[in-house]
Amino acid sequence: MELSFKTQLRGWRTVIFALFLRELQSKFNDKLGLGWAFVEPFVFIFAMSFARSLISGNDVHSVPVFAFMMIGLIGVRTFLGCIGSVPNSLKANKPLYAFRQVQPIASVLTAAFTEFVVKFGVIVLIAIAIYVLNLDFELKDPMLLIVLYFLLWTLALAISLIFAVLIAFVPEVNKIKSMLSRPLFFISCTFFSLQDIPEKFWPWLVWNPLVHIIELARYACYPSYGNKGVSLEFIFEVTGVCLFLALSLYHISWKKILSR
Amino acid sequence: MIKLENLTKSYPSKLGPQYIFRNLNFEFPTESSVAILGKNGSGKSTLFRMLAKSEYPDRGRVLSNKAMSWPVALQTGIHPQMSGRENTRFIGRINQVASLTDYEKRVQDFAEIGAKFDLPVKTYSSGMRAKLVFACCINIDFDIYLIDEATSVGDPTFRRKARRALQEKNKTAGMIMVSHELDQIREFCTSAVVIEDGALKYFHALEEGISAYMEEK
Repeated sequence: MELSFKTQLRGWRTVIFALFLRELQSKFNDKLGLGWAFVEPFVFIFAMSFARSLISGNDVHSVPVFAFMMIGLIGVRTFLGCIGSVPNSLKANKPLYAFRQVQPIASVLTAAFTEFVVKFGVIVLIAIAIYVLNLDFELKDPMLLIVLYFLLWTLALAISLIFAVLIAFVPEVNKIKSMLSRPLFFISCTFFSLQDIPEKFWPWLVWNPLVHIIELARYACYPSYGNKGVSLEFIFEVTGVCLFLALSLYHISWKKILSR
Repeated sequence: MIKLENLTKSYPSKLGPQYIFRNLNFEFPTESSVAILGKNGSGKSTLFRMLAKSEYPDRGRVLSNKAMSWPVALQTGIHPQMSGRENTRFIGRINQVASLTDYEKRVQDFAEIGAKFDLPVKTYSSGMRAKLVFACCINIDFDIYLIDEATSVGDPTFRRKARRALQEKNKTAGMIMVSHELDQIREFCTSAVVIEDGALKYFHALEEGISAYMEEK
């Protein structure tokens, strides 16, 4: 029975849509409901950025402290949020793989998509708050910012998929994952600028694509911030390599994951 | 007709891979209702899950040009936190039924679980769960229905109803069933496949299959 590409694509769409609704419904079962998923990161990012801007001065390399902190926190929270929950979705949906239409990658994609929608909602909330409170913010290069956000999301998805596959075979990887992801919060230029660090220490920081993403996002908003030491090419390369690795790992192992 | 081609399946374990089937070649007709018989651990459920493509063999293929249902068993595919209705809609969606509302209504009528249809499945008794899963399955048109003891917990009235529905379906579709209860198999099936030591054997008449299966012991 040969299926055309179009019918297959339609099948995938229905499955991912059904899984997406299911995910939303199970989030609604919580007493606080889906709203919490939006409110918690919003309050966290907003309060932290605001507090920092009250404590320390007006701007960091010509970027207002509030915007500086906010961009850093959104970047890191999006990435860590994805890495934290998406790898577990592979296991959480295990009973559903009895339906041959539902393949493991569909649940990973759905979880990542849900995460993306929620974080996008948080960004919209923050944008509204900035507008309503009339805070100082400018956006010079929206296109670069959008490209960066999609790259960030693709990177997070690829790394989540790698972890998901590894965890399916060796559950202990989960512990290693949480150990590895904790310092990310502090080494990704969330609280400081790469420019504040002496140049001889840069090699210790710039291996991390998050540093590039966050610094470039600040540059996209305020060109006077500068983009020394970071590059878009590097982000593309890392994302490409991770995505390739993730998909090949998944491709050779998904049938084995089903019988585990 | 289902064809198994050069099928090898193993599960990893501490003692190395445990082979269930090795280079198995087999063919059996599915026009009538087939029972799969075999001792515990002989690979009934594994075979069953591979037929449904819930699992895949290490090597080899399962070939069939029929639309097969998912393996209908008590635990498969039902989310305990979600209500019967939500589960029904999920199953309807991924199987791309023509009208979701219509499907939902037919399942509700068939399952006879009343107002509990809107409560989470974790509050159901196992009999009610079985009714729901069976109702979800029988209301979608498949060529072959795969049923794994799911009807055994239902009450006699429901079993009678299930049998009638299956007999109705049997005019156009086949059925493959796994069960240890011979009464139930006699009730639903007309032919048998017996699994013994990784080898399969087809019996056109159910009783021959059952006696071959009983002799094993």
